Amino acid sequence: MAKQVAIVAVAQNAGAESKDNFYDQAYAVTKEVLDKAGMTRDEIGTVVSASSDVFHGGISCANSYYWETTGAFLKNASRQDGESLFALFYGAMRIMTGHYDTALVIGLCKGSENPPNDTCTLMYADPFYQRGVGLTETMAAAFQMRLYMERYGITAEQCAKVAVKNLGNGLRNPYAHKKGRYTVDDILGSERLIDPLTALQVAPKSEGMVALILASAKKAKEIAGKPVWIKGFGSSLDNYYLGDRDLLNGQLKNAADRAYKMAGITDPQKKIDVAEITEPYAFQELLWYEGLGFCGKGEGGRLIDSGFTGMNGQIPVNPSGGVLANNPYVSRGLQRVVEAVLQIRGEAGERQVPKTVKTALAHGTHGYAGQCHAVAILGR
Amino acid sequence: MDVSYPELVREAVMAVFNETGLTPNDIDGVVSGTMPSMMEGIALTHFYFADAMQAAGKPIMKTETCGSTGVSIAHTAYYWVASGMADLVLAVGHEKMNEGNSQATMTTVAEPFYQRYFISGAPGVFSMQSQMWMDRYNIPEEKIRDAAAFISVTHHDSAFDNPYAHIKMRVTMDEVKNARIITYPVRLLDVCPNSDGACAVIFASRDMVKKLGRKPAWVKGVGYRGEEYFFGDSDKVVWESAIQAAKQAYDQAGIKNPRKELDVAEVYNPFTFQEMLFYECFGFCEPGESPDLVLKGTFSRKGELPCDPSGGTLCTNPIGATGLIRVAEAALQVTGKAGDHQIPKAKLALSHAMGGVDQFNGIMILGSKL
Repeated sequence: MAKQVAIVAVAQNAGAESKDNFYDQAYAVTKEVLDKAGMTRDEIGTVVSASSDVFHGGISCANSYYWETTGAFLKNASRQDGESLFALFYGAMRIMTGHYDTALVIGLCKGSENPPNDTCTLMYADPFYQRGVGLTETMAAAFQMRLYMERYGITAEQCAKVAVKNLGNGLRNPYAHKKGRYTVDDILGSERLIDPLTALQVAPKSEGMVALILASAKKAKEIAGKPVWIKGFGSSLDNYYLGDRDLLNGQLKNAADRAYKMAGITDPQKKIDVAEITEPYAFQELLWYEGLGFCGKGEGGRLIDSGFTGMNGQIPVNPSGGVLANNPYVSRGLQRVVEAVLQIRGEAGERQVPKTVKTALAHGTHGYAGQCHAVAILGR
Repeated sequence: MDVSYPELVREAVMAVFNETGLTPNDIDGVVSGTMPSMMEGIALTHFYFADAMQAAGKPIMKTETCGSTGVSIAHTAYYWVASGMADLVLAVGHEKMNEGNSQATMTTVAEPFYQRYFISGAPGVFSMQSQMWMDRYNIPEEKIRDAAAFISVTHHDSAFDNPYAHIKMRVTMDEVKNARIITYPVRLLDVCPNSDGACAVIFASRDMVKKLGRKPAWVKGVGYRGEEYFFGDSDKVVWESAIQAAKQAYDQAGIKNPRKELDVAEVYNPFTFQEMLFYECFGFCEPGESPDLVLKGTFSRKGELPCDPSGGTLCTNPIGATGLIRVAEAALQVTGKAGDHQIPKAKLALSHAMGGVDQFNGIMILGSKL
């Protein structure tokens, strides 16, 4: 994808519980991103938001509630459910049709007003066979983790290293919700949730309002600042029942291959400079390395051991702390995009990776054991 | 009611593959959508219906905009193809309402602290809007009542010509006017049912249409607008979201006089009274004029601009699918495939859906020619 759609401004809020209400939080990031782009609401062509009713604190039709506070009043706007990267894709598509030259893309989730994540993810289970046994994302992840350890000999310590790295990286991210200097033993010794998952290997429930402004190539030139280009994107959905799937051979490769193809990337291991990925469970980061082509099958454990994905590695993964540090469920994919944009611009502050970033990858996933994946490639 | 929710979705999806001769392998992407999770009893239904939609291994979008979801799904599929990122996109809308509680769900759309107590379910909002409209233009109540009853009678008759319609019953003007009050002035036969249904539509690029060698319905105009959440914040008579959504679509389609240029309209009409207000907002007639024209038959099957020859939402309302059904009906009309409810020589058709707390309006205009 040649330089067609640029991200010209980004804004996000902090993940910890806030006394500000949903409206104020959503308004704050919307206003901030407009101010950063030097634009008014009237100049925005279209608005695409992402939210999810089940994560929306007891109000149905989430977009009804926040329509005007996200700048969409009397605009042609729409909404994506579940995964905020879909909203990025949709905003980009709307610009690519030529109907609009700017799009405000916003992900909304106020975790502190929602029930626990797994009370919500239980609602993904079909009501007849699976909900009764309590299938949730955490339970599906535990199955997946056990399979991963057994099939490839991935160790509990290797999984824990992801949490050590990401919660440590979170210390340098002012927006991160959960952070700290932990050892592998601390991670493995934390409360056992669903075997083999322990508490520090599971993402929290965070606040997260995330806003971006997209612009056509022509419009991007008029807007001051450093445009970051959307080079490619892709998504893929897997079958529903866990038993119908190979949980270690899911749809991430499909989603990533689509994005790489669009971006003209044949060797992601060499071309990707930094990656922000969605790892609500620590081991998934290792598994996603494989799906993203950073290493071969079953090699995720060895990759983290080698330091390849550390802050000083060849592809730093989740310098922001990732989703283990900050998990506003629906918004988390778009938050990865914001972090990737900041890295490319060299504006990531203390969490800026110590290398030149030309190309960055942002990834989102939702559903049991990664039923759906979405990948975006961004670049200078 | 005789099939499970995934089966309902599968039926519609397989029907569109059978009809077009395409296979799931041909599809570049899938757009899915419903009403909120409370209505479904299950959240993020693209997961549950991945197999039924034949979407495994496919790029996916999940579009939801409350009652206007169906038309928003069609819009997403359109933008996807028009962006050049796909040649064939499958759009699927679905709802299985007999297993849920639609009015309880819609009550939870309303703002919880101040408005929820007053705006219970859908009829509360739409009844207030009807009263506002009547009052604004000093339309005699009897005339409005007659016109609304006329719409109910004609749409219920039309439903007999639509094999997919839910409510098939002959009703008389007197029966409508004396039906049980739901929320004044809306009576039972002024209101849509709770339906089960799914709808699947395939959107194709121009190049793909050439390859397929099928007669398509071309997308001529796409409009959407939304307004404030609090019901009292916006004028629901001079209803800007409806007016501007239609205007955006008309401008794209080059339509200046919709009543003359459109051959048929599938207006989202869960309530008879509201259907007349839409006629005015969409420029089919002047403000306050619609009841007279309805009673003259201007919008009847043989009238100047037939509206809802399928029987419309009034007779069939599986909400997440309903807007997409309007689009599908418009496509059937302009391709001459609407069967017993075909409007002769229909070339240009409007489809519409509305949602939120009387808040969103979406339009898609389809034509027989590019």
